[in-house]
Amino acid sequence: MKKTILVCGLLGVASSLSACATVQPWERDVTARESMQLNKNPNMTAANEHIYFSKEASAGGRSYDGGGCGCN
Amino acid sequence: MQLSDTSKGRIGATLCLMTANLFAATGVHAQVTSDSTNNPSAPDAAQVQNAYDQPASEPGTTTIDSAILFYKENGGRVQAIEPMISFVQNDEDGDVYSARLTYDSLTGATPNGAAPWKTTQTFVKPAYVTGEGHTTTRASGGVTVTNPVTGATEVQYTAAPYALPLDTGFHDRRWAVDLGYAHQLSSRTKINFGVNGSHEQDYQSYSGRFGIAQDFNQKTTTVSLGVNYEHDISKPFYGTPTPLTWMSGAMKDGSRSKNVLSLVAGVTQVVTRNWLVQLNYSYGHVSGYQTDPYKLISVVNPVTGAPYSYMYESRPESRTRHAVYLGSKMALGSFVTSISGRYYHDSWGIDSITGELSEHIPVGERAYLEPGVRYYHQSAADFFAYYLPWNIVKPQYASADSRLDSFNAITLSLSGGYKLTDQVEFYGMVQSYRQSKAGTKGTLPGQDSSLKLFAGPNAVSVLTGFKFKF
Repeated sequence: MKKTILVCGLLGVASSLSACATVQPWERDVTARESMQLNKNPNMTAANEHIYFSKEASAGGRSYDGGGCGCN
Repeated sequence: MQLSDTSKGRIGATLCLMTANLFAATGVHAQVTSDSTNNPSAPDAAQVQNAYDQPASEPGTTTIDSAILFYKENGGRVQAIEPMISFVQNDEDGDVYSARLTYDSLTGATPNGAAPWKTTQTFVKPAYVTGEGHTTTRASGGVTVTNPVTGATEVQYTAAPYALPLDTGFHDRRWAVDLGYAHQLSSRTKINFGVNGSHEQDYQSYSGRFGIAQDFNQKTTTVSLGVNYEHDISKPFYGTPTPLTWMSGAMKDGSRSKNVLSLVAGVTQVVTRNWLVQLNYSYGHVSGYQTDPYKLISVVNPVTGAPYSYMYESRPESRTRHAVYLGSKMALGSFVTSISGRYYHDSWGIDSITGELSEHIPVGERAYLEPGVRYYHQSAADFFAYYLPWNIVKPQYASADSRLDSFNAITLSLSGGYKLTDQVEFYGMVQSYRQSKAGTKGTLPGQDSSLKLFAGPNAVSVLTGFKFKF
């Protein structure tokens, strides 16, 4: 079941991406905003990643899965 | 790998949520487009109405960003104070130089891995000798004693009846430095390098990374690939115990190391004018010492559950991790909805799903608030056990560390920022993090659930920060 879900998810994303060429360079004003950045506040992100890495078994996905500390 | 029905349900629910967001995003975009087209007086999605609508990248600027995190777990467990400061310089030609310095001060108590019991339990560990030659217990609740047999100085500490055994000697400091450089190789290609070093009294970590990002489709698609290599050295205060040997107050054997190779491949796509998505896959392979040298596991009577003694835990020396991450950000006016999901699997038998949702809400012209929620679920490691019955053959691996248990975690957060001027910003975050046991609660042989074996924490954290751009 897991593989099916994963494949469906990836196909869904791929099909979404294929229809994306309509956004012109002069239409990037919104995605360029500070509020639209994937890592809007690096310090908050770093603090959260550190907390989750030290309390949970999972790592990676969003970025590298090393921890850089002896907390886990 | 087998997924339980519960896990399948959770994965399905998460994907449903994400699918719903994608449909919702498409629908909302259609609505915005329709409004803009049919009603000339309707606000344009791109109109700058709030300070956080300004472009993020400002070539020729330098940013100094400092923050301090306060973290506190319930029950007198871990407390941390973590100040951090970063420096980022954006050159006119697109190059970016960055540096980050982080300091951690951790105190409190941490579960030692042993199961609670109905009477007082006593644990022993070697007395720590500092570099100056002074002996200290490093355990505020512990008592320094001399072993009558070996003559060695030991520290004894106890756990009250029914209480989760905690090692109260937890105290550490950590310094971490990260340096990064990103270079605009061409108008569509960017490369980045970075190094990281972290130093604790009993742990050191060093890593280096390299990444490349390539734009396609008139820069609406960015494909990125990165690699990170990390070398860690574990130098426990009392030396490294041999896995699955009996707890003792004798000093142990030297240090151990591990290496982590991590790869991340990702695609970021501008889907519409106000919607972008990111899809990442990460792979990690860890080889070397991954056992927690401070963690014990109870060895108990197979009929009554009474503790017989305690052993040092044992974990495999190899671990392979896979994670798929999908994130989405969609703007509606100055509001931004962020949603993400992650599926994780590793060779220790742990599967997890993570879902996050937050809403950036503009407040006036210069501020925002962002409530958020995060759900996390993980299954237990194959070798996780709350205890070992004394009559079984000793397994190769066993750990009672709650981080390898099956649990759910909910985070509720509220963050926000205020731009005093275009150069000066104050920001902050408060959040609550609560773990709860997932699935069947474990019990000791012959006992009921009044002895709570799950050791996951509840925590509160507060972060406040200041950013200055010039």
